[in-house]
Amino acid sequence: MSYFFQLVVSGIVVGSIYALSALGFVLIYKSSRVLNIAHGQIIAAGAFITYALTVWAGIPIYISFILSLIITFFLAMGVERIFLRRLIGEPIISVIMVTIGLMSIIDGLVYLTPFGTENFSFPEFLPAHPLTVYGVSISWTQMVGVIITAIMIGGFSWFFTKSTLGISMRAVSDDQLASMSVGISIPRVFGLAWATAGLSAAAAGSIIGNITGLNFDTLHAFGIAVFPVVILGGLDSIVGAVVAGIIMGLIQQFAAGYLDGNWGLNGTANVLPYIILLIILLFKPHGLFGTHEIERV
Amino acid sequence: MKTKKALFIHVGLALLLILAFGAQAQAGNTYKLGLSLAITGPTSDAGNPYSKGVEDYIKYVNDEKVLGDDKVECFIRDDQYKTDITKRNFEDYLDMGIVLYLNYSTGSTLGLKRDFEEEQIPVIPASFHAGNLVDSHYIFLPIASYSSQMVTLAEYVVANHKGDTPKVAMFIHPSAFGRGPVEDAKKAVKAGLKMDIVEVVEHGKDLDNTATLKRLLNKKVQYVICHTVQSPVATLLKDAQRLGIAAKTFGEKGKITFLGAHYTGGNDLIALAGSAAENYFWTTSYTLTSVKGEGTDFQLALAKKYGRDEKAANSHNYTNGIMVAQVAVEAIKRAKADGKEITRKSLYEELLAMHGDRSYDPKTTVAPVTYSETDKEGVDKLQIYRVDGGTWKAVGEPIESVFMKKIK
Repeated sequence: MSYFFQLVVSGIVVGSIYALSALGFVLIYKSSRVLNIAHGQIIAAGAFITYALTVWAGIPIYISFILSLIITFFLAMGVERIFLRRLIGEPIISVIMVTIGLMSIIDGLVYLTPFGTENFSFPEFLPAHPLTVYGVSISWTQMVGVIITAIMIGGFSWFFTKSTLGISMRAVSDDQLASMSVGISIPRVFGLAWATAGLSAAAAGSIIGNITGLNFDTLHAFGIAVFPVVILGGLDSIVGAVVAGIIMGLIQQFAAGYLDGNWGLNGTANVLPYIILLIILLFKPHGLFGTHEIERV
Repeated sequence: MKTKKALFIHVGLALLLILAFGAQAQAGNTYKLGLSLAITGPTSDAGNPYSKGVEDYIKYVNDEKVLGDDKVECFIRDDQYKTDITKRNFEDYLDMGIVLYLNYSTGSTLGLKRDFEEEQIPVIPASFHAGNLVDSHYIFLPIASYSSQMVTLAEYVVANHKGDTPKVAMFIHPSAFGRGPVEDAKKAVKAGLKMDIVEVVEHGKDLDNTATLKRLLNKKVQYVICHTVQSPVATLLKDAQRLGIAAKTFGEKGKITFLGAHYTGGNDLIALAGSAAENYFWTTSYTLTSVKGEGTDFQLALAKKYGRDEKAANSHNYTNGIMVAQVAVEAIKRAKADGKEITRKSLYEELLAMHGDRSYDPKTTVAPVTYSETDKEGVDKLQIYRVDGGTWKAVGEPIESVFMKKIK
């Protein structure tokens, strides 16, 4: 039985990290209807900033982590200001193409630094021994990852439902013209959406980097790897990202634990989430929690 | 008077021409090599120090006049691990007149194999995939193939395991690179290598390998042989450490001992996995700077001479780059000594003759490089290393696979 619960715990841990990684997509899409293809690169950048502050600048990792969130917040805001601000009102596909270009630019910039071609690891700052309850273990790194994810997702949920700024961001997502007519600043909302997405990406990058080590290719690949989570949850739903992340994490762990290696099966942990995604989308094309828009003409 | 003046001019011109030709003869010839590899993009963590190794050794050859007045020019271009760019680079290099080509990835080596045959140009790739040698005359692997590495590790497990037939799982990259050696390992078992291959695991981008590790443990797997790149192995080792199932000594009962082929190890693995890398067994044919020797002293001096940082200087991929350049230069040196013109054909012949008394010891490998018509794997022996106290230490003497000969 402990085997089953171990898979559940591992699935929730992995799912939480997927959810946090997916959050950046959701935040930008929620306010601007744009899919940021360069999200993986921002995840990687956040992880490297935390590392550089910790190891090169000698700042304690807890402070580095917070500083990294702040830096990435402004970095993403800057990216929006420089590259995307002038595209407000242009077709969405143009903006998405710009994010593809942005991905290449960030790739190129990272390859100019040691982070592009070398491997690094955060100093071990948490106890090496895992927390074990009734034979079910979870590492401190994973535990901290889950807690940070919970705090951030809770915070963003509150922000979008309760705060004036969050509600105005949702309003912009629904109808830009109507929002402008009531005095909401569209550029400000877009800038803030990118900035908060950057902040969540930095958190995700630092947690993933702590688990896998810091390798640029591994880190930026998570931007695309969590795409099924984003689609399954519904592109504009924070709760959807969480639920879909945990579903994906659990499916992966159960497939690896019960299917792979049996009956000649192998690699189901990598394929099954996509099969489930397709099946769910057949019945719910907007994802589990995505907004189903009804246009009246 | 006019005739006298004209005579002086003619004599002067003749002298100038003689001087010019003399200077050219003294400057010697320049032999061109080409290297296309991933300096950026996937696997650039290996490609970057590799390119530095090639670049530095070629500089050394020219600066120290290893080939007398002759020089070697090696063109190095980034292909971002993309076969189409590799092909373009290779074709450009052919136009530039290269006499030997250094390639990189398994995919591009397999993809360009027919081009190499058509051009009849000797090629040394960074990929040790045994499949590179199938239907090929011109590809020379620098060291033992991935298949040899996996089978040698399996033989090491069998030789050192205490108790019943050891149960082994393979943890491989989901690609031709990863899958290649699995069949050879299975053939070795069929040929009498006493171990059970319980499972072959193709990894994904896993954040948590708990399910995989627990499943393997339930199946009484005691050894996991890895053939992939460092990052997934690092995550696997960290998870094994967290679950308390990583063996502290080789073959510890109820635990898993992890072993791996060339591209799973090196200092990068220690950088990624930290303390979880302890007791990881790794094999390669290269000498490591953590185990002092003539070759490693040379490597460190070379890195210092050309201003490389400590990380590059101590990278086994830097060694890898130096070594392939050493083999290329040695082939040129021998062709010159044999009075041959330096061409693709003469270098090919020199590489094929590199065995017996003419085998070549670059000192950056644990045994000499030997090639022949039937043997295109350069260094046949492999050294087992183990992480001990955060550094690689040699385990025993270099060994050569017995079963690879049986299954060939």
